[in-house]
Amino acid sequence: MRAGRLRDGLVLLALGLYAAPFFWQALTSVRPDAELLPLTRLLPSHLTWAHYDVVFRQSLMPRALVNSLGIALLSTLLAVGLGALAAYALARLPVRGRGVILLAMIAATAFPQIATVSPLYLLMRALGLRDTWLALILANASFTLPLVIWLLAGFIREIPRALEEAAAVDGADRLASLRWVVLPLVAPGLASAALLAFLFSWNEFLFAYSFTASEASRTVPVALALFPGVFEVPWGDIAAASLLASLPPILIVVAFQRYLVRGLLAGALRE
Amino acid sequence: MSPAGGEEAKPQRELIHAPALRKSSSGRDTADRRLAWILLSPAIAILATLTVYPALWVLWLALQYRIPVFGISRWAGLDHFAFLAVDTRFWNAAWVTGLFTVASVALEGALGLAVAVALRGQRGGRRTALALLLLAWALPSVVTAKMFEWLYHPAGGLVNFLLGGRAINWLGDPDLALPSLILADVWRATPFVALLCYARLLTIAPELYEAARVDGAAGLQAFARITWPLVRPILLVTLLFRTLDALRAFDIMFVLTGGGPAGSTESLTVYAYRALFQTLQVGFGSAIGVVVFAVVMVVAAAYLRLIGRQEGTA
Amino acid sequence: MAPRPARAAAFGVVLPLLLALLAGGCGERPGAGAPVTLVFKHAKILGPADPVPGLLRRFEADHPGVRVQSEALTWSSDEQHQFYVINLEGGSPPFDVMMLDVIWVPEFARAGWIRDLTPSVAPAERDAHFPTAIAPAVQEGRLWALPWFMNVGLLYYRADLLAKYGFRAPETYDELIEQVRRIRAGERDPRLDGYLWQGKQYEGGMVNVLEALWANGARLLDEAGRPFPEPERARESLAFLRGLIESGVSPAWVTAADEELTRRPFGDGRAIFLRSWPYALDLFELPDSRVRGKVGVAPLPRLRHGPVGAASTGGAHLAVSARTRHPALAVELARFLTSESAQRAMTEGAALRPSRPALYRDPALVARDPSLPALHGLMLRGHPRPITPYYLMLSTTLQPEFSAALVGRKSPDRAMRDATAQIEHLLRSVEPVAKTPVARTPR
Repeated sequence: MRAGRLRDGLVLLALGLYAAPFFWQALTSVRPDAELLPLTRLLPSHLTWAHYDVVFRQSLMPRALVNSLGIALLSTLLAVGLGALAAYALARLPVRGRGVILLAMIAATAFPQIATVSPLYLLMRALGLRDTWLALILANASFTLPLVIWLLAGFIREIPRALEEAAAVDGADRLASLRWVVLPLVAPGLASAALLAFLFSWNEFLFAYSFTASEASRTVPVALALFPGVFEVPWGDIAAASLLASLPPILIVVAFQRYLVRGLLAGALRE
Repeated sequence: MSPAGGEEAKPQRELIHAPALRKSSSGRDTADRRLAWILLSPAIAILATLTVYPALWVLWLALQYRIPVFGISRWAGLDHFAFLAVDTRFWNAAWVTGLFTVASVALEGALGLAVAVALRGQRGGRRTALALLLLAWALPSVVTAKMFEWLYHPAGGLVNFLLGGRAINWLGDPDLALPSLILADVWRATPFVALLCYARLLTIAPELYEAARVDGAAGLQAFARITWPLVRPILLVTLLFRTLDALRAFDIMFVLTGGGPAGSTESLTVYAYRALFQTLQVGFGSAIGVVVFAVVMVVAAAYLRLIGRQEGTA
Repeated sequence: MAPRPARAAAFGVVLPLLLALLAGGCGERPGAGAPVTLVFKHAKILGPADPVPGLLRRFEADHPGVRVQSEALTWSSDEQHQFYVINLEGGSPPFDVMMLDVIWVPEFARAGWIRDLTPSVAPAERDAHFPTAIAPAVQEGRLWALPWFMNVGLLYYRADLLAKYGFRAPETYDELIEQVRRIRAGERDPRLDGYLWQGKQYEGGMVNVLEALWANGARLLDEAGRPFPEPERARESLAFLRGLIESGVSPAWVTAADEELTRRPFGDGRAIFLRSWPYALDLFELPDSRVRGKVGVAPLPRLRHGPVGAASTGGAHLAVSARTRHPALAVELARFLTSESAQRAMTEGAALRPSRPALYRDPALVARDPSLPALHGLMLRGHPRPITPYYLMLSTTLQPEFSAALVGRKSPDRAMRDATAQIEHLLRSVEPVAKTPVARTPR
């Protein structure tokens, strides 16, 4: 019905306006310097790639992008690798104190990072891990691992036991059934968990800011926060850098939306 | 989009309150237990090292005078906490944190619910709608902070431009900075609330609304009688998450205003961070961190009790 | 049954950890080259020409077999400090000579991160620098760093406007305020600001507050480390700064302004007075500057109880890392870069002022920059910020309190009371400032 489509269109427009700050930043990243300050016109007179040029050639972003990508991927690998095993154990195997363990994991996600950052800093320092990838991978694990375990345990639980029992009848032991029965079935859940772990690792700021000191391990959020300006703040360059920093999140929201949503809902709807 | 809500929640609940396992063949059981232990221990070891151990350590640090740079390390007892009790900067930070949390969560709840209701009737373009909505949530907080810093810029910012070119210093005026910050955080977090409420709303059978319309109740009454009671539990859970996040909020505050101007946006987390990494007082900073920790745990416990009680009556 | 689960679990565990460890290795810095390579860490030098590469090549020519690699620090002083702390604390830093803000030298010395230069620097060499430049680098009678370039706070004024109304550079702040009033009344330009200074909550803001305290004969700490030994005068100073904003002599936005945010309006001709550092003068005298030839330089005015020209000195020093593998060479490099010829090159090439009084009377340099003799006098009258290893801690603790007073959120009394409580709590954690702490020998 036309009214319905009009309503749909209006809602989409409203949401487009909601996301306007982001589009404005994108516009800023191609706006010529002279038209940035003061702002006199909404649309720029012409587009320029100069800001992206500066970001790629003269800033710390390229190295930071590599760091972030590597750290986020490895964090995700670690979280999903260990998390899947632990989730299976909690969901299917006899574990004494299972409830306590799970509650402890939820509680761990509620720990304020500001409280754990100082001991973790001292720990990283003692292990000689300051300004390394490993420090951030481990720090990220502190919040991605419980999340992944929680999500996957729920997803595994949804798989009917009958399937595994059938596999047992066929002579498969626990691990074989995990590998051949459970994992394939929970693959979408794995994808959701991995996406969330990647997203949160990519966006993580506090630990990254505190544990990194140079471009050896500096991640994208930190590089953006420390974006250098010689005399004044280069808003155009920062906008360009922001866009680059947002590429993985955008990709996840647009291309992998289904998995993202499923992960968010499963994680939150546990009363 | 799969309908969510009850079905998704059940496995989790079962997980925690699972009855004791029936004893099958004891050989298999022992093997299972051993396997479980092997599969669990790496994860538990890492988590224990990275969360439990630091949680205990920070309590210990909070009782010390500890400045690693100068090799200062001695017992302080409750000195830091005694100081905090009379420290105006601490109470200002507590006030800022409380105000920020209450305002943000209230706005997010209201706005999120409104967006969810608006989305519910959406037939076409749902993926696009969700993509536009979730973009705000998925962006790194630093990106959001820089984005709003530019929007709020007195001379180059879009906000002042749209207001007719008045040079309002949103982030530099002590009375405007906190509201500006709250707005940025609400923008960022509302999609999460909206998404979860939306998912719940989708599971409400349309026949209920049909029946209500037949009975003569529509619009606001339908909302009050059907929608609200069904969406309230999930809203509460979502607000729990948001409250805990707002209490611990750091990224946006730190990058957008750094706690200024004149401490008008300095939350407890920013105060703790400054003490830890700018003045390098690890002991004192840990004490503030412990306070944040305690507040978060208390609020979480209170919320859970509220949710539990609600579930009991639902 | 036993091997299989263990193997699988091991696979699931070891692989990610292995990858992570490998990645951790990737995060490390590349090693130094084979002939001796010294790493010199410094902030980018601003100005028309960067003199540092040329100087480093000269050093390499004088020392065959030695390469000097220059590495830039981030722009902001706070980040530089955080970088140094993380790298120096408990580790072997990958640099040999480093540029330090003058206020960090006592802290780094106390922490045992920099090398004692006393045996390598003759007293004559020490005396060739301004006493106010050497003093912050001395702890317990030992010299820990060499001055590289120097700054001092000064008052810029629009000589043309003052001359038009028959004024000379003000000696007291009362005069300054009066001049602002008369000039603005006469010019009738609503966009003409009176007095610009840096009131933002950062180290620069702290400098401005300290200068106001000193201008009224007040100090931040006494010899025993007790705060505000002249409380009434300190209160007056804070009230004065707040009064500048309330009366409109200074625009409200100075409370969020740093050096650049105040230099630009003055350089565009939109302010009568500006408090800033010497670097701005070079920018005002550029060919396309709107205030070219119209800018005068004077010592900072005084308040009731203090002296004229009570400005803060600043600048950078060069220190040698305590853990350098080439101590003799690194010290050589530091001495070379702070030598008279090197500082001369820096003064010619960049918007920097030397720390050697002799250069201020050098005919060739004065011909290029006639303001040097005047600056010489200002440098002599300035004083350094409190020389204590805990200065940075004090500053970051006090900045919010002073900022609150400037913005009007707290009365000066209240700000001072809260500041005192904070200082006392901080000093309880460390040794009292009076007992000059012994700098620890490098570990």
